[in-house]
Amino acid sequence: MRSRAAASIFSREGFREVYSMEGGINAWKGLVAKGAPDAGMAYFEPVKKTEELIALAWLLEEGSRKFYAEMTRREKDQEAVGLFSELLADEEGHKTSLFKLHQTLSGQKPDPGFPRSLINIEPGIEYLEGGMLLSEALEWVRGKEVRETLDLSISLEVNAVDLYIKMERKVKEKEARQVFQALSNQERKHLKRLSSLLEKR
Amino acid sequence: MGVMDYFKPISTWPVEKVREFLDELGPQEYNLVDVRTPQEYEKGHLPGARLIPVGELESRWKELDPNKITIAY
Repeated sequence: MRSRAAASIFSREGFREVYSMEGGINAWKGLVAKGAPDAGMAYFEPVKKTEELIALAWLLEEGSRKFYAEMTRREKDQEAVGLFSELLADEEGHKTSLFKLHQTLSGQKPDPGFPRSLINIEPGIEYLEGGMLLSEALEWVRGKEVRETLDLSISLEVNAVDLYIKMERKVKEKEARQVFQALSNQERKHLKRLSSLLEKR
Repeated sequence: MGVMDYFKPISTWPVEKVREFLDELGPQEYNLVDVRTPQEYEKGHLPGARLIPVGELESRWKELDPNKITIAY
């Protein structure tokens, strides 16, 4: 999982040819690789406008929040549960920042249809950072060790940092750039905390 | 580059392809990057792999040559 997220960073920075090794080190040692949810297979229509980017980011934050919320219920490792609770509260805060940004830029009354009115995504389908389906991710971590849940969470955060860096580079509005920059810094902190916990497990 | 390239599938290589590739080329000709934790790296890693934990990648990708084929695991 982590290697795919890493590959997306290399690609973003213009590395000429980038691959993620299927199945990771276990596959290399000849062990059976466990199928990971399909990351990055989701198809979205091209999102170009700033308001569409904001809506997309909001939806992905919501997906991550739901993932962490479910992990606080399922996970037995108490330190991990504590961290997931903090992360889900942060993702909720990120949604608020994005919604406020949308309002600032649109200069209109609150849009009750936000965010789905702005972006063409099938109703009822929920995505996580990186384009993974929430339902598949939840299925994949079922019965797995905390290390594997952390591995997936780290991938989500790497993808989140990556997304906000890309978005910040793309938009022209100063307010939007500031918000995306702040969000990418916060996701980077999540990444550090998840990584330190994984190092201890 | 559009933001939605973000959702483009990441290209993957099966283990056999990586083995073949590493056999044919010298370590100066590619970037082989282990993005796991230092502990995982210590327990065992691919020959010639360079450790850059994924959490450090945003600040360390510049250490690598972007013109070389890059394999992450």
